[in-house]
This record gives sequence, C-alpha cells and structure tokens, in this order.
Amino acid sequence: MGIISCLPGRIALWLGVALIGLLALPGRAQTAPVSCTLALAGRVVDHEAGTILPGATARLLETGEVSTTDLAGNYHFHVCAGTYHLEVSFVGYQSESAEVRVTTAVVRNFQLHPDAVELGGAVVRGQAPTPAPTQATAALTGGALAATRGQSLGEALLKVSGVSAIQTGPNVFKPMIHGLHSNRVALLNNGVRQEGQQWGQDHGPEIDPFVASQLTVVKGAAGVRYGADAIGGVVLAQPAALPDSAGVTADLHAVGATNNGLGAVSATVQGAPRRLPGLAWRAQGTVRRAGLTRTPDYRISSSALAEYNYSAAVGWQRERWGVEAFVSQYNAQLGLYPVPENWNRVARDSSPAPLPASFTYRLERPYQQIQHTLFKLSGFYRLNGWGGRLSLTLAQQADRRGEYDKFRPRNQNVANKNLPELDYRNQTTTADLHWEPSLPGNFGGELGLSGTSQDNTYRPGSRFFIPYYTNLTGGAYAIGRWHPGPWLLEAGLRLDRRQLDTRRPTRVSGAFDVVRESFAFTTPAASLGLVRELGPHVTLRADVSLLRRAPAANERASQGVHNGIYEEGYDITRPAGAPTLGPETARSAAFSMSWHDHPRLNGELTVYQTNIDNYIYQTPVAPVLDIRGLFPSYRYQQTDARFRGVDLLVAYRVAGPLTLGMKAATVVERDLRLNDYLILAPADRLEGWLRYEVPAQEAGTAPRRLSGFYAQLGGQAVRRQTRVPRDNEERDYQDPPPGYWLLGAEVGGTLRLGAHTPLEISLTGTNLLDTRYRDYLNRYRYFLDEMGQNVTLRLRMPLAFGNSKK
Amino acid sequence: MFRFHSRFRLATLLLATPLIFSACKDDKDDPIPDEENEQITTVSYVLTPTTGGGSATTVTWRDTDGTGGNDPTIGTLTLKPNTTYTGTIAVLDETKTPPANITEEILEEKDDHLFFYAPTLANLLEITSTDRDSKNLPVGITTQVVTNSAGTGSLKITLRHQPGAKDGTFAPGDTDVEVTFPVKVQ
Repeated sequence: MGIISCLPGRIALWLGVALIGLLALPGRAQTAPVSCTLALAGRVVDHEAGTILPGATARLLETGEVSTTDLAGNYHFHVCAGTYHLEVSFVGYQSESAEVRVTTAVVRNFQLHPDAVELGGAVVRGQAPTPAPTQATAALTGGALAATRGQSLGEALLKVSGVSAIQTGPNVFKPMIHGLHSNRVALLNNGVRQEGQQWGQDHGPEIDPFVASQLTVVKGAAGVRYGADAIGGVVLAQPAALPDSAGVTADLHAVGATNNGLGAVSATVQGAPRRLPGLAWRAQGTVRRAGLTRTPDYRISSSALAEYNYSAAVGWQRERWGVEAFVSQYNAQLGLYPVPENWNRVARDSSPAPLPASFTYRLERPYQQIQHTLFKLSGFYRLNGWGGRLSLTLAQQADRRGEYDKFRPRNQNVANKNLPELDYRNQTTTADLHWEPSLPGNFGGELGLSGTSQDNTYRPGSRFFIPYYTNLTGGAYAIGRWHPGPWLLEAGLRLDRRQLDTRRPTRVSGAFDVVRESFAFTTPAASLGLVRELGPHVTLRADVSLLRRAPAANERASQGVHNGIYEEGYDITRPAGAPTLGPETARSAAFSMSWHDHPRLNGELTVYQTNIDNYIYQTPVAPVLDIRGLFPSYRYQQTDARFRGVDLLVAYRVAGPLTLGMKAATVVERDLRLNDYLILAPADRLEGWLRYEVPAQEAGTAPRRLSGFYAQLGGQAVRRQTRVPRDNEERDYQDPPPGYWLLGAEVGGTLRLGAHTPLEISLTGTNLLDTRYRDYLNRYRYFLDEMGQNVTLRLRMPLAFGNSKK
Repeated sequence: MFRFHSRFRLATLLLATPLIFSACKDDKDDPIPDEENEQITTVSYVLTPTTGGGSATTVTWRDTDGTGGNDPTIGTLTLKPNTTYTGTIAVLDETKTPPANITEEILEEKDDHLFFYAPTLANLLEITSTDRDSKNLPVGITTQVVTNSAGTGSLKITLRHQPGAKDGTFAPGDTDVEVTFPVKVQ
C-alpha cells in the first residue's frame, strides 16, 4: 500500500512519533492529585461598543465566590475541575450566565448587552489567549463581520484599510494586502494554511466565510510564524472555539440582495453534552446562489454563482490535553464573463459592447467549478512546569478546480462530454508541531516545525496550463519574547527548504516531450518586533523583517491560453543563457500607532516600506500569435521593487450617538531597476462615514422591542491610478479607468421576537447612486463595468436549546 | 492510570489517522500527450489557376508547438493578376502521427462551421465559397478566388464554429482558426 513509503505520510509519522515521545514523558505526572488552582478568568465588555466594563460582578453560583472586574475588565477565580455556573452582572446591562466546564485553565469572556437586549443563549467564547502580533492587525468580528455576510471572503476583507482585491468580474475577489497578493499572502483556514491553487490571480480563496467567527488580517511581513509566503501579510479565518457550555445552540443567517438576486443561508448548530464533559461538536452549512449581476446599464452575461459548503468539528478536551477533528468542504461554481474575442484590439480607445443577457440563475460557460476539502486533526498537550503547551496539527487538503471555458473543442464528440478545459487536481498534506514553553519571568517564546507535501496534476486529456509538480517544504522557526512592563520585544528566526519538481509537456521540437525540472532553495527569515503600550489607549508597534521566498511552480512554468488570455511563467521563454527564476528577498519595516478602547477617539495609523529584490510579478506583454489569432498575454518577470504606503483609520465620536469615521490607504510601488512605477498597483482609496447609534438603554426601563438601532451613511472614493509605468501605453491594453466615488448606507438593529428570540436585522445599500465605474484592479475592466446599485438584507438569529439535554 | 493511558492511546490513534488519508501519489506520474483533443496546428490553402494555366500554389500557416514558444511559420501567398483560381483549404493537427486531417471532420459537421475570407485591400482578391451545407449556407472549404491588378495586401482566414447557430453571418459561435497571410499579386 505504500502509505509509509510516501513522503507526506513519513513527515506526519515523524511528527506523530515526536509528539508521542514528548507526551509520554510527563504523562506519569498525570496521576498527581489535581489541586484546586485552575484559573477561570475572562474579560467583560460591552457587546455593542466593545468597551471594557470595570466593576462588573462575576459570581460562581456553586461556591458563592465573587470577583469584581478590574480596570481592564478582567475577573479571576481559582477553582477545582468541575462544572460551574457563572453569572456576570453590571448595572445597565443584562446579566448573563453560562455553564462552564472547567477541565483546564479557562478564559471566558463575556459581552454584556445593554439591558434592552435579551439574548437567550449567552455569546460566550473560550479562547487560548494568543499574543498580539507586532505587525498592524485588523480583525473583522461581531457587527463588522455581520455586515459582510453573504459576500465572498475576498470581498469581505475589503472592509479592512490597506486591503484591496484583484477582481475577475463580479464574483472572484483575490485579497491583496499592501499591494502584495497571491503567493505573498498566506491564508489560514482554521489554523491550516490554505493550499489550493491560490497562485492564480483569478482564483479567489476557496473558503466559506460563514465558518469564521472572526477574520483577522495581519498587515505586514509575518513570514517567521506563518511561512515564507507571508511577505505581504496573513489572513486568518478563525471559527469560534468549540462550546464549553452544556446545551445546544444554533446560529442562523439569511442574506438577500437586490442586484443579482443573491440569496445565502447559513446555519450553525453546536453543543456539548452535559453527561460527557470534554466533548463538544459543531456542524455548519451554507448555501449561496446568485443570478446575473447588473451594472447600471446591463446585466453581466454568465455571472451567476452557486455555492454549497459545509463543515463539522468534534473535540474532546481534558485538563491537560485535547484533540479536535475538523472537516470542511467548499463547493462553488462561479460564473465568469466570456472574454470578448479580440477585445485587446478595440480596448485602447473604446470598450467592446457588452454581451446581451437577461436575468437568470443558470450557470453557463465560462465558469469555474471548485471543490476544496479540508480534513484536519489537531491536538494539544499541556506539560508540567515550564514545559508549557505542545500542539500538533495535521491536515489533508484536496483541491479540484475545473475551468469551463466558453471556447469549446471543435470536435462535437469531445465537446459533448462537457468536460472542463482546465482541470487541476491538487493534494496537500501539512503537519505543524508547535511548542510554547511557559518560561519564567517576562520571557516567552515558541518553537515550531512545519512540513508540507504537495502534489499537483491535471486530468489527463485536459489542457496543460500548470505543470505537474511535487512541492516539498520543511521549515523550522523560533520566536522569543520579552515582556517587561509596557514593552514587548519579539525576535524570530526561521529556515525553510523547498524542493520543487515540475514536469510539463512541450512540443517545441515538434514531437511531444516532457520537460522535467528540479529546484531546491533554502530560504532564511528573521524578524524583530517591538510593542509599547502608552497607557490603556495607545499602542505603538514597530517591526523589521527579512524574508526570502522561493518561486512557485506557476511563476516558473505555467503556460497556456485560458479564457482568451495567454499567460506564461518566467522560465518558459527566458532568453538563452539567462538564469532561471530565483527566490525573492523582502526587507520590510513597518510602524503603527493605534488608539483603542477610548470613548471618543479610536484609530490606527500604519506606515510601511517593503523592498523586494528579484520581485516576481506578472505583467502584460506583447500579444502572442496563435492559430486562433492574437491573444492578450501576460508573463512573469523579475525586478527589484519597493512598496511604500500608509493606512489610516480614524473614528471620532462627535456627540453621544454620532460617530464620524475615515479610512484611507495609499501605496507607491516602484520598479527600482527601471526607476519606474510598477504596473497594477492599487489606486488610492478614501472612505468616510457618519454613524448614528441609539445610546444604551438606561437600567430598569422595560426592554424595548427594537434595540441597538444604528444608521450609517458613507462614501467611498477611489482615485484614478496615475502611478503607472512610463510605457503603459504599449504595455497595458487600456489606460487606468477614471476615479470614482460611491455612496453607501446601512441601517440595522435587533428586534425582540420573544423573550429569548432576538433577530438581528440590517439593510445595506451599496453604490446607491447607481454610478457607472470600473476599477483598475479588475482584470475584466477592459470590457466590463462594476456592479450597480445593490441593497442587501441580512438576518441573523441566535437560538439556544439550553434544556434540551436534560 | 490505566484509564488515562487508554484515552491517551485513543488520542494517539486519532492523531495518526492522517497517515491513512495522506495522498500517496506515484511520483512517476507524468503528463501524457493530449490525444483526445485535437490541436489545430496547420492551415494550408491550395490555389489552382483555372485561367491562364500555370501550376498550383500552396500557402501554409504552421505552429506545431502550440501557443507561445516558437513563432509560427507563415507563408506568403503569391498570385498572378487577373486570374481565377479554385481554392481548397486544409486544416491539420500535425501533433498527431500521421497528421490528423481536421478538414474531413469540418466537412462532416459543415452545418456548424463557416470559413470567412477577408482580404485587406478589398479589391485585391475576390473570394467566394463554392460549397454549401444542408441549409444551403456557404461552408468555405472550397472557394473561387479572382485576382485583380497587381498589388500587396493580406488575407485573413477565419474558421467560425457555430454549433446550432450558423446563419451565414460571422457573429455566432467562436473562432477555431484565425490566420493571416501576406498576399502579393504580381
């Protein structure tokens, strides 16, 4: 069967053995009596505003113990293992209680609702506290995440300043952080590096955002912790921890939109049986459908989409150890606009007329059909003394992507099989071993080992575009932390080795041949970060890092026509004698200052510079002549580049219920070899809004039927990109589109349907003036307008079946 | 103690399960020739004079290594002025051995295919299809070419694939072939 003989198995086995070895040693100490010193602690905050609530009362019903939250909103208990009922109350807020099973140190945060709101099931999360990165970090959670429900992951992340997206028509959004994307942004789906076909600019992340309760964006080079691919940043899609309260809860979402008839429904059910302490489970499913998108003037042909996703998790947790299994599958069919033939010949001065289309949900060629399956097993073990915490994550991912082109085989018999023209198959096994010792004093640190084994093929008989390849990556890293008082100093080192073997077909000599190429690179990484807390409201962060990234298979050896565009890797037609593509080296420095938890002024300013030597990027080149005519063409090139930019977010409470907000981002991308601008850099963006929020209801008044009402009016302006290469006239098929501004509005609140049945409702309007515009980063901007006016209704209902387990 | 260990073993077993799921691809897998799909590599246009005598002339557009890579080789069509030719087009897949003649398949599916001949300098050549499909629409595998006075220009030949939509115009369907030959009438 050869399971052990193949490499991924071996890596997993080694790590498994290593873990077992480490687990076995301190295991004997397990029989020592458990003293009643388990920490049960957490922070109490306001659910709506997120402000901390000092002076709130936490009471353990079993023991009668009381703890009052300190200035940071924290309460503390020391208890024996067991099940407790914890009640948290504060004047003007609805008391909340939760059943907590304490088998290990538990951090249980409470988000109290102003008195008017009654939530049947307390929103509780038990989380292992993760140290804040030294890079600027933004999180979409709670209300901000709710406002993106129904959107794809890449579109939702546009809410974060400094994040833009490379679009392919209205359905595909590829996140871009500080001007970097694809192979330079690591995506972590529930702690596992997303490995699919993330390299393609027209490949959106294969992740259902409904799985996540928080989307975190680390803006900046975080390559030491997350691997060399994280030069630009990291996107973490994080589900909530499995419940540790006994009972069953559910969370229902429904989204509908007017523009494209989008409908999305997602349901999560989770629970923990009372009789089996330690066990918890969750099941989740999402259906998302949309018809043709409407621009102000026409429907975009073939832009329907259909998505069916599900995930399930089950975990078993004891005081010292825990295991969790997680499975998810993402199934999507995303319609693409049929790229008009010869558009590049008419695009310079005018735009090809849009294809006629009338509204339908039917998916027609061209479209992408994507299936991403993730199976993950993770476990942790808490060691004695300074041993700290050891965790292991093993994951298997299978990614299948079929690209159904509009252009069909000429032979009717072949065409009738209705197979995708490009049909990639990608299998990845990853293993991560992580050790976080509990060091004495102000010291902390972590050590990690990670391995990836990846195998990429395409269906025999389908067209070549990306070569067959095997990619083996192994990495080791160490991070040390020193935390004296308001300072945090962090230093990290990492070493990765990538072995890439590619096999691609060629007919350059006339006959069929397979070109085999093999590359191995060892890439070091180092980082130094500093955090300084200036009082409770201001945090300064600074970090510098050096990262190297080995080139990926697509950057070297992709080749072919796909959806009317010819693309090729660097090594395909490099001039004779020129060296093959080498690794790129990034040196980056960033500084950020954030004001937070302040009643009036909150915000963040980030300034950064990244220099990338041998920067690998895709650029339009002279059209390539093929038997079907001239094709607009893109090729990978290498140069020295520099990225400099600023992100700014400011929110100021003008008067009690009124907040004024502003978000801005700019990045200047330079090609240092040519002393010129780089092509396809995100244009400058500015967003402003005014938000009205009904102040929290006074204590003692009768609960209102509608609570938490808010209304927001905002505008978003995008400048025309003028920082383009000098020879843009020849290089790009069209000048950057003019700048635009869009008007948006949102209203929402919570409607109390019953004593314990809140319904969160929001209505969001985007592009309210039905402005006709195009965005420079949309690959279809040469012939397609963006979405017109759209109004989205979002409903969410949390449900609790607290007594169903009795 | 025993209890702990049995549970511990359970955890170990759970952690070891990915070994079973690990992809164990045979590393010797290689891409194979795409025999099923045709790859049109070659277009030949044979012109035989019917007036004034002389031998047939053939012009060929060939790109055997597919898109990218080596540039295609493109012949020049040299014709005599004021002469009538009969033209026959051949579309080949020369990646196969022996080369596959796709013209035969086009002929079988002639109700779905249409060749367009577009000379630039419109009065350089006059090209008319001489064949018809079952709906009496032109196909364009055989043509009649009439040259006028001497001059240079080019000829764009387009094969449109129009399954179920052919109406004699260019618009429906997709382009299977689009090649341009330089033309000299001398």
